[in-house]
Amino acid sequence: MDKVTLKIVRTGGKEASYELKYKKGMTVLDALTEVREKQDSALGYRHSCRMGICGSCGMTIEGLPRLACQTQVSSLNTDTIGIEPLHNMAVIRDLVVDLGPFFGFHTSVNPYLVRKDIQERDSADREYRMLQSEVNRFLQFDYCIMCGLCYAACPTAALDPMYTGPQAIAQAYRYMADPRDEGWKQRVDLLDTAHGLWRCHTAGACSFVCPKDVDPAKAIQLARMEVLKARVLRRKERGGSQLVPPVTTPAKQGVKAPPFDFQGGTEK
Amino acid sequence: MTEQKRFKSGLVPSLLPFGFNVERWSYSIHRVTGVIMIGYLMAHIFETFQLGAGLTAWNNTMAALRSLGPLEMVGLWIVAGSALYHGGNGIRLILNEMFGVLMGKPILPVYPYSPTSLGRNQRIAVWTITAAVLALWIWAGLYLLAGLGVI
Amino acid sequence: MVETIDHDVVIVGSGLAGLRAAVEVLSRSKSVRSLAVVSKLALMRSHSVSAEGGTAAVLYPDDGDSLELHAWDTIKGSDFLADQDTVWKFVNLCPVEIRQMERWGCPWSRKDDGRIAQRPFGGHSYNRATFAQDKVGFFEMRALYDKLQEHQNWARYDEVFVTSIVIENGVFKGFTAIELKTGKFLFFRARAGIIATGGAGQIWKFTATSVSTTGDGIGLAYRAGLPIEDMEFMQFHPTGLFPTGVLITEGARGEGGYLVNNKGERFMEKYAPSKMELAPRDIVSRSMIKEINEGRGFNDDESGLSYLHLDLRHLGKEKIDSKLPFIKELSMKFIGVDPVEEPIRIKPTAHYTMGGVRVDVDGRVLDADAKPVKGLWSAGESACVSIHGANRLGANSTAECLVYGRIVGQGIAAYLDSSDSPIADADTSRLAAEENRVFGELFRNETADADVYQVKAKLREVMDKDVYVFRDEAGLSEAVREIEELKRAFQKVRVTDGGRVFNYNLQDVLEVGIMLELAEVVARGALNRKESRGGHSRTDYPSRDDTNWLKHTLALRTPDGPSFSFAPVTITLWKPVERKY
Repeated sequence: MDKVTLKIVRTGGKEASYELKYKKGMTVLDALTEVREKQDSALGYRHSCRMGICGSCGMTIEGLPRLACQTQVSSLNTDTIGIEPLHNMAVIRDLVVDLGPFFGFHTSVNPYLVRKDIQERDSADREYRMLQSEVNRFLQFDYCIMCGLCYAACPTAALDPMYTGPQAIAQAYRYMADPRDEGWKQRVDLLDTAHGLWRCHTAGACSFVCPKDVDPAKAIQLARMEVLKARVLRRKERGGSQLVPPVTTPAKQGVKAPPFDFQGGTEK
Repeated sequence: MTEQKRFKSGLVPSLLPFGFNVERWSYSIHRVTGVIMIGYLMAHIFETFQLGAGLTAWNNTMAALRSLGPLEMVGLWIVAGSALYHGGNGIRLILNEMFGVLMGKPILPVYPYSPTSLGRNQRIAVWTITAAVLALWIWAGLYLLAGLGVI
Repeated sequence: MVETIDHDVVIVGSGLAGLRAAVEVLSRSKSVRSLAVVSKLALMRSHSVSAEGGTAAVLYPDDGDSLELHAWDTIKGSDFLADQDTVWKFVNLCPVEIRQMERWGCPWSRKDDGRIAQRPFGGHSYNRATFAQDKVGFFEMRALYDKLQEHQNWARYDEVFVTSIVIENGVFKGFTAIELKTGKFLFFRARAGIIATGGAGQIWKFTATSVSTTGDGIGLAYRAGLPIEDMEFMQFHPTGLFPTGVLITEGARGEGGYLVNNKGERFMEKYAPSKMELAPRDIVSRSMIKEINEGRGFNDDESGLSYLHLDLRHLGKEKIDSKLPFIKELSMKFIGVDPVEEPIRIKPTAHYTMGGVRVDVDGRVLDADAKPVKGLWSAGESACVSIHGANRLGANSTAECLVYGRIVGQGIAAYLDSSDSPIADADTSRLAAEENRVFGELFRNETADADVYQVKAKLREVMDKDVYVFRDEAGLSEAVREIEELKRAFQKVRVTDGGRVFNYNLQDVLEVGIMLELAEVVARGALNRKESRGGHSRTDYPSRDDTNWLKHTLALRTPDGPSFSFAPVTITLWKPVERKY
C-alpha cells in the first residue's frame, strides 16, 4: 500500500477526501496530523498523548469507535479510511464532539471514596489496610481513561439521551467494589433510577470497543447484582477497611546518608 | 438545557451495528422481536375480544384474517420465531444480568485485551441458542406448512 | 470584546499539581467561594496521566529508609544544584502525600501485610518508589479528579487556552484566554492564580511528552517579565520507545531489566558499576549515547537514527503481566514487539524540564527583584523551586507535584482567608492590546509567507540535533543561529484557518511562538554554561565546575532575547562532592 485516502465527515455532515503517502507504522493520528499540517489546517480533531492513555483522540474509524493514536492504518485492511465523529455526542466542529454530558454523568454517580469519618479520611497519618487481592477486585475498572468510546457504542445511549452511560455505571461499581468505600448504599440509590442501571440490556458493545479492557459490561452486571442484593435481599451497608496498625517493630539500620555539613539545616 | 443534536444517535444506527460483536447484534434482534411480540399481543387481544362482541363481529374478524391468505400463516410463523428467539436469548440475558453467569470475574487486563464478558463461553452460548432457535423455527415452519396441506 | 469572568482562584493547568492544589484549596479554605480550573485540554487529558514509574517517599523509616537518605539521594542526584532547604521540606511531605492519596482512593500496589508496597528506582539508595502497577501518574490523576467531583464550588474551563498573565505593579490580576469552543476572548479576574502547566518537552522532536507539552506557563511567565530558571537543564529519559519517543518506564529497569548494546553486553557496567541500570537518568542517557556514538548501537535505515535494547525477557511473563503491563501494551501496540519474547528498542528521549518559573520555597512566583508577586503561585514541572537542580531522580516529579500542589494550596487558602484583597480590575487598554495581538493575527488578510508547521518541525529538528544529550560550542552556536532565523520566519506566519470555533491552527501558532522563545532560552543558556552538570553535558567542558558555576541561571526577557543573571544555590545540609555511582 503506498497511498492512503481519508474520507472525513466534517461539520454539517459534508465528507472531505484527503490523499497521502503511506509510511510504515503509520497510525490514523499520524495521518490526520499530516493532513492538518500539509493539506488543510482547518481540520479539527483532538489529540494529546499519542500513547493511548489520555483518551482525547476518540473517533469513529471505519464504523467502530477507536482511539486514533493507537489504530494502525495497516490493521484496517483498506486504503480508503472512513472517519467520522464519535456517535451519540453533539458535534462542535469536524471530529470534535461535546463530552460535557458524558463527564456530567460520571459526576452524578458520586465517583469518589466515601467514608463516614471524613476527618480520618482527610488527615490520618496511616493508610487503609488492603490486600493486593482486594485491590484486584476493582483495579480493572479503574483503568478507565474516560475516552467516551463506550458511550458512543452503547445502543441505549443512542436511544436515550438521559441514560447514565456505561462509563459512569462502571465507575460507580469501581467504588462499590473498593473495600475502603462506605458509600455503597448511596450509589445503589443513584443507579436504581429510571434512566440508570436498568436501561442496560447487555449488548456488550461497550466492552467490545474499550481500549483499556475496563469491561464496563461486566461492571454493570456486577453492579446490577449489588443493587439486587440491596433491594431484594435487603443487604445492609458494610463498613470499610480500617487504617493499618501503627508500626511497632524497632527501627532497622540501612544505608546511612552522610552526616550533615551544616547545623540547623533541618529546622523548619 | 437545550438538547443538541447528537451525531448518528437514534433508531437506525442503533439497530444496525455493522462491525460490532455478536452480542450487540443479538441485542438488536432481541429488541425487534420484542416489538413484534407486543404488536402480536395487542392484535391477539383485539381478535379474541371480538368473541365477546357477538357472533357477527367474530365472523367478520375471522373473514378478515382469512382474506390475508398465506400471509396469515407467515405472520404467525414470524411471531413464533420471535417468541423463540426472545425467550431463548432472554434466558441467557437473565443469567448474565441477574446471576453474573458467563460474565467472568474482575481480572488484571493483559495486552492484547480480551474482555471476559465477551469470552469464549459467552460466544458459545449465543451461537448455541441461535442455532437451537433456528432449528425449532424451521421445524415450526414445516409444521405450519403441513397444517396448510402444502407438505 | 473581552468577557470578564471572576473567580477567587484560577488554576491554569489541570495536571497533578493543578488538581492537587485545587483539592487543597477547596478542602482547606473557609472563605473560597469559587475556584476555576482552566486547561487547554479537557481535564484528565493532561500529560500527567502518562507518568508511569512511581512516586518516591520515605514510607518505612523503620525498615532502613530515612528522610536524610532521601534528601541525600535527591541532592546528589541533582548534581548539587538543588536548593537544599526546599529538598528537606519536600522529603518530609512525600510520605504524607502518598498516604493521603491512598485514603482518597489511589490503588497503590500492596505488600503481603496490606501496607503500601515500594520498588527500586534509579538513583535511590532504598527501594522507595511507591507504585500502582506501572501507571502511577494515571491512577493519581484518577484519584484527584474523582476527589474533585466531591466539591461543589469550583468550575471547570475545558479547552480554554491562556494567552497571557496580567501582572500590574507586582500584583497578579488575572489571565487572558481564548475559549476554543466559541472563539471568545476571556479575562479571568482572580485574587490568586496558580501556574501549573507542565514542562516544555515538545521543543524536541524525539520526546516522550504529549503534543500539549509546549511550555505555555513558563513561556507566559517569561513574557510577563518574570525570571525563568535553569532552562538549559533538560532530562533525557534513557528508555524512550523507538521511533515514537513514547516513554518506557524506569520501573522496567527497577524490576530488573537490562540495557544491552549490539554486542549483547550490559554496557552500564563500564559507566556505573555499583548501580548499573539504576544509576540516575542523565548518567544512563550519556552512557547510551556514548555507546551509540562508538558504533555499538543498532541502526534504523529508514530514519538514520540508532537505538539500543531494553531486555526484559528474563523477567518472565508473569512478572511483566503483573508489574509492567502498560509497557507490554505500548511495545506491542506501536512496534509489534512482545517484551516476553524480544528486547524493546529504545533511545534517550526528552522527558522532563528541570527548569521553569522561579518560585520560592513556598511556591510563590518571584519577580526580577526576587520579591514574590502578590497572588501568584506555581507548582509542578512548570515551577523551578528547585528540588531537582540539574537532574531529577526518577519518581521525584510526581512526588513534587503532589507536595507542591499541597503547599501552594495551603498558601492560597491562608492568603484567601486572611487578606481582604478584593478581585481587582486590570488596565483595560492592556487587555484590548492583548486581544488585538491574538485576534489581529487571525483576521489579517495577507496570505501566509511562512508555514507554522514547517517552522515547528525545523525547530524540533534543530533542538534534537544540537541541544541533545551531548552539546558543544559549535552545535549550540549553530542552534542559536537557527532559532533566531526561525524567529524571523515566524514573524511572517499567519493563521490560515479563518474559523472562530476550535481553531487549532491559531492555538498552534500561539504555541509555536512560545516554543521558539523557550528554545532560545535553552540554547543560549546551554551556550553560556561552560561546564557539565546533570542533564547539561558539554563535550568541550566535560567536568563540573563548582567554583564558577554552582549557581542557578535566571533568564529575563528583553527585546533582543534573553538576558542572563544568576542566583546562588541554597546549601544548608551538605557540601557538594564528586558524583559517582
